Amino acid sequence: MARTFKAKVLRYNPDIDDAPHFQEFDVEYEPGMTVLDALLYIQDKYDSSLAFRWECRGGQCGSCAVRVNTIARLACRAKVDPDQDLVLEPLEKMPVIKDLVVDMSRTQARLTRVRPYVARDKPAPRPEIIHQQDIEIVRELRKCIECSACLSNCPVVRETWDYAGPMIIRQLARLEMDPRDVEDRISMALDEAVYMCTTCKMCEDSCPKHIKIPSLAVELLRAKAVEAGYPLVEGQQGFIDSINRTGRSVPEKDTPLLKSLESEEFLVENPRGRVAFFTGCLIDYRMQDTGRSLIEVLNRNGIDVIVPKEQWCCASPAFRTGDLETAHDAARRVTEIFERVMEEYDLDTVVVACAGCGKTLREDHRPFIESERGEPPKFKVYDLAEYLIDVLGKDNIVPPKGEVNLRVTYHEPCHLGRGQGVVEQPIELLQMIPGVEYIDDPYKNRCCGAGGGVRAGQREISMKIAARKRGYIEATGADMVATECPFCTIQIRDILKGTDIATRYLPDLLAESYRKGDAED
Amino acid sequence: MEYKTIVCDVLVVGAGGAGCRAAIEAAKHNVDVVMISKELVGKAHTSMAEGGYNVAIGNVDPDDNPDVHFRDTVVGGNYLNNQELVEILVHDAPERIYDLEEMGAVFDRTPEGKIAQRPFGKQSYRRTAYASDRTGSEIMVTLVEAIRRTSVRVFDEVFATKLLVHDGRIAGVTAIDMRHGDYLVFRAKSVVMATGGAGRIFKVTSNAQLDVGDGYAMAYEAGCELIDMEMVQFHPTGMVKPESAKGRLVTEAVRGEGGILLNNRGERFMSRYYPQVMELAGRDQVARSIMTEVLEGRGTPDGGVYLSIAHLPRSVIEFRLESMIEQFEDAGVDIREEPMQVSPTAHHFMGGIRIDTNAQSTIPGLFAAGECTGGVHGGNRLGGNALADTQVFGALAGKNAALFALEHDLPGFDRSEVQSEFERLQAMLERKEGISPADAREELTTLMWEKVQIFRNEEDLQYAVRELRRIEREVVPKIKVDVPIRRFNPGWHQAIEFGHMVITARMVTEAALMRKGSRGAHYRTDADPNDDGNYNIVIRKGEDGEMELQKVPLVITRMNPP
Ligand SMILES: Cc1cc2nc3c(=O)[nH]c(=O)nc-3n(C[C@H](O)[C@H](O)[C@H](O)COP(=O)(O)OP(=O)(O)OC[C@H]3O[C@@H](n4cnc5c(N)ncnc54)[C@H](O)[C@@H]3O)c2cc1C
Ligand code: SF4
Ligand code: SF4
Ligand code: FES
Repeated sequence: MARTFKAKVLRYNPDIDDAPHFQEFDVEYEPGMTVLDALLYIQDKYDSSLAFRWECRGGQCGSCAVRVNTIARLACRAKVDPDQDLVLEPLEKMPVIKDLVVDMSRTQARLTRVRPYVARDKPAPRPEIIHQQDIEIVRELRKCIECSACLSNCPVVRETWDYAGPMIIRQLARLEMDPRDVEDRISMALDEAVYMCTTCKMCEDSCPKHIKIPSLAVELLRAKAVEAGYPLVEGQQGFIDSINRTGRSVPEKDTPLLKSLESEEFLVENPRGRVAFFTGCLIDYRMQDTGRSLIEVLNRNGIDVIVPKEQWCCASPAFRTGDLETAHDAARRVTEIFERVMEEYDLDTVVVACAGCGKTLREDHRPFIESERGEPPKFKVYDLAEYLIDVLGKDNIVPPKGEVNLRVTYHEPCHLGRGQGVVEQPIELLQMIPGVEYIDDPYKNRCCGAGGGVRAGQREISMKIAARKRGYIEATGADMVATECPFCTIQIRDILKGTDIATRYLPDLLAESYRKGDAED
Repeated sequence: MEYKTIVCDVLVVGAGGAGCRAAIEAAKHNVDVVMISKELVGKAHTSMAEGGYNVAIGNVDPDDNPDVHFRDTVVGGNYLNNQELVEILVHDAPERIYDLEEMGAVFDRTPEGKIAQRPFGKQSYRRTAYASDRTGSEIMVTLVEAIRRTSVRVFDEVFATKLLVHDGRIAGVTAIDMRHGDYLVFRAKSVVMATGGAGRIFKVTSNAQLDVGDGYAMAYEAGCELIDMEMVQFHPTGMVKPESAKGRLVTEAVRGEGGILLNNRGERFMSRYYPQVMELAGRDQVARSIMTEVLEGRGTPDGGVYLSIAHLPRSVIEFRLESMIEQFEDAGVDIREEPMQVSPTAHHFMGGIRIDTNAQSTIPGLFAAGECTGGVHGGNRLGGNALADTQVFGALAGKNAALFALEHDLPGFDRSEVQSEFERLQAMLERKEGISPADAREELTTLMWEKVQIFRNEEDLQYAVRELRRIEREVVPKIKVDVPIRRFNPGWHQAIEFGHMVITARMVTEAALMRKGSRGAHYRTDADPNDDGNYNIVIRKGEDGEMELQKVPLVITRMNPP
């Protein structure tokens, strides 16, 4: 018998229906089936008036983007999972014409307003000499097929059209990088609110052409703006100045972790491994307990932990906002410090618990150091959860014994999930804690609004994004949300004020269970 | 029936490479230009072209020049090309690619910073300019950027259903607004048809949804002459698996970059058929070779052959064939490691609206460009010549349509003709009993795929003609739409398209039946050796409403057929 699955399609004909409503169809599954195949099946078998767009069925024309189980994707490239209901909705933010067909005119008008073509001040020579190396980035950014999936997924666009959104910011970067274009794209990008982007990478993740919009467009334009002398907003500049002065992005309050630790070395008997711990600013200056928890968790699992007393900020704020001088200086220092530690302590692994730092070390420091000296940093970087599950191995983890009787959901930090590809590991750890009832949040990977300098520099939009995030978390009915990033922890704790939902940093929760387990033994 | 009328000077039907280029050119002449298309602007079939654009600028091989390009094109077209049109193609292709660069296109470069060029089948030199393997997308994006800069009024998702002819002149089109279902009349002093091809009349095709042959059928109904309709190019390499991707193009660039074809015994079988050129033989030749392998039992279990590039450096594959990596990734194949499975797919219409050297059809004021025209490519099109065609003839048609509009007043139009057209469309919606467009389409495309494909013969073609006449008589008038609403109703769109598909299919088949010998893409297993084949077949709708076919002499400027 043919295997079937359910497709729920949001139908709407404003001429007739009061409101959009879901209609369910049984679809016969075929191996390799795409969402577009499923839609065509429904159209041919059940209802030829079902409206959706398509042309090329191969990810080339950009017609067919729809929301597939909440995230916008190209229907012709998204694969159907027959073990799951398929929920199809029109793109977010665009007025519906009918069913899955939306009105693109606002996006078009929005695009047209940035004069989205190569503007020249004199006729082009024929032939025109252009060197391949001058168009490498343009070539990347040109892959866009204007499918608008990224617009639909962008948490900032979701809250306000003041931000032009990833597709259009990409077009500005494409023009800025085109040696032929003579317009001032930097000021346009500022006018289009390029500093509102949280660098959450949702756009990059859903882009069928894998265009790295946050780095190749947003951060590039920001860097160009800084280079051109545009000042950062106060909140962001404060971080940068602080990094340059002290190596930390925030001012000291309580005794920092690194100062309070009695030693650099946390060694165990018969170690199974040895790592260095990169604390990052917030764990060092604001979340000292989390730092101790991390050391404890690793030690309990038979891992030697080295915590260099001298550390420096990864300079994520500088990378995100475009101050490349500060950023590069920090990358050099961090590499130097940890390569020295590697030598000294004979180790090759650095563990972080901050999603932002981890992403910056991996995605920003690595390529920069490699391009500068021809060789990337010698050490490997892991997030704590990733290290425990993938390197140590799930079966080798000492099981935490203390019961934490709570319904716990998880917020996936953007810079952990999409930034470092760490998705399942933190959840697996959560599920190892006795008593924890893990509740999956279908929106767990949505941005909390803290990143990209937005919490510091654009508080209003940051809070709007956060408020929507609160809605998602509340909808899970969980007692607690766990996460794996200090910024997310602070932001989410902030927005959950006034609710009964607690916010916990994963290493703390793990350590708590271990300690409880000891007490019970 | 209520309708709304939009008046303009130049109406461009189609927003692919040819339509956009025509609109841009026409707008330079200070005329009011309207461009309509069935899909959102920028999403046309042209965006799917992968391999490149032929232009004899000799950036890589300095000996290349337009004369050699001319010769290659005419030889490739089996001497059936209208050589006056080929002269224009090869002469104007360089300026038109520089136009694209001026508008902002980013083609890949040579080390000196000039436009890079790659080899393509049946060409004497490396002549094909490219932007990785997404050249069509690059051109489409560029043209859309340029359109956004002009004063052209774009009405996308508007479906033209019929050409209006008044006092022997083109007068406009009737159309529906696909989004909201309004009936529209576009009145214009001149019209450019740029409606693309009709691969979708075949069950297995590389073409986009929109390529159903509306343009051919509308032109035919309006009394326009069409030429070379029997010449349909089957691209040798379409995807085989998964079922849903069947027919999707595997670009010729894969072979251009060095890909080899293997049968199920691991033999590089092209050495048996075309040992000199191997995989770079003409498309028809490679397609027939593959089909022969498959028919003689040397194909893959899924009915194709293998195409392998695993011997090429990874860097070449990743830099020049990036879309292919992605396309096969979706099918679960890593082409850097494993061979692809391929078999032929209906790809390109060489035939179409007959145009003169002004890109004007046989109806005054009606111009045409791009794949909807016939004559430029003769019996077979070289890979890379179609994109050049869209730019060269798009610009020419746009210019001449503008000049025509400047010299003429707006023609009148026949209100009762308009009324009865909208009544016909409305009747499809309201019909209670009948045949669904999906079933009708299945029947038609299967018939065409089985009887009018790569290997043709008298019996199959006779059968197909009979069937098509029956479908025209019995199925077309009974097409019904499930849900009688006008707002974005794909069932309705498909119902309208079906009538156009049948007319197009009949033109292909009747012409194929008339041509008794093998020539170009038209290959008959029962070829008549006495047919020298040195003619073109012209089709028009006769006074009596019947399809008339006529052989006409070739148009030759410098190269006589051997
Ligand atoms: C997969 C693939 C790859 C290819 N690769 C190459 C290549 O590498 N090099 C090369 O030279 N050629 C290539 N070709 C061929 C080339 O892409 C086409 O011949 C060319 O793009 C046709 O352009 P066009 O402007 O004539 O038509 P299209 O791009 O097909 O546009 C037709 C336009 O007409 C509109 N239209 C049609 N009917 C109606 C109607 N009834 N009402 C309103 N609007 C209508 C459509 O909406 C559309 O906008 C390839 C073709 C395919 C299928
Ligand atoms: S990174 Fe996030 S916030 Fe920034 S443009 Fe992309 S989706 Fe929007
Ligand atoms: S950037 Fe990517 S996701 Fe966004 S519109 Fe372009 S192709 Fe689509
Ligand atoms: S149908 Fe063209 S991108 Fe999906």
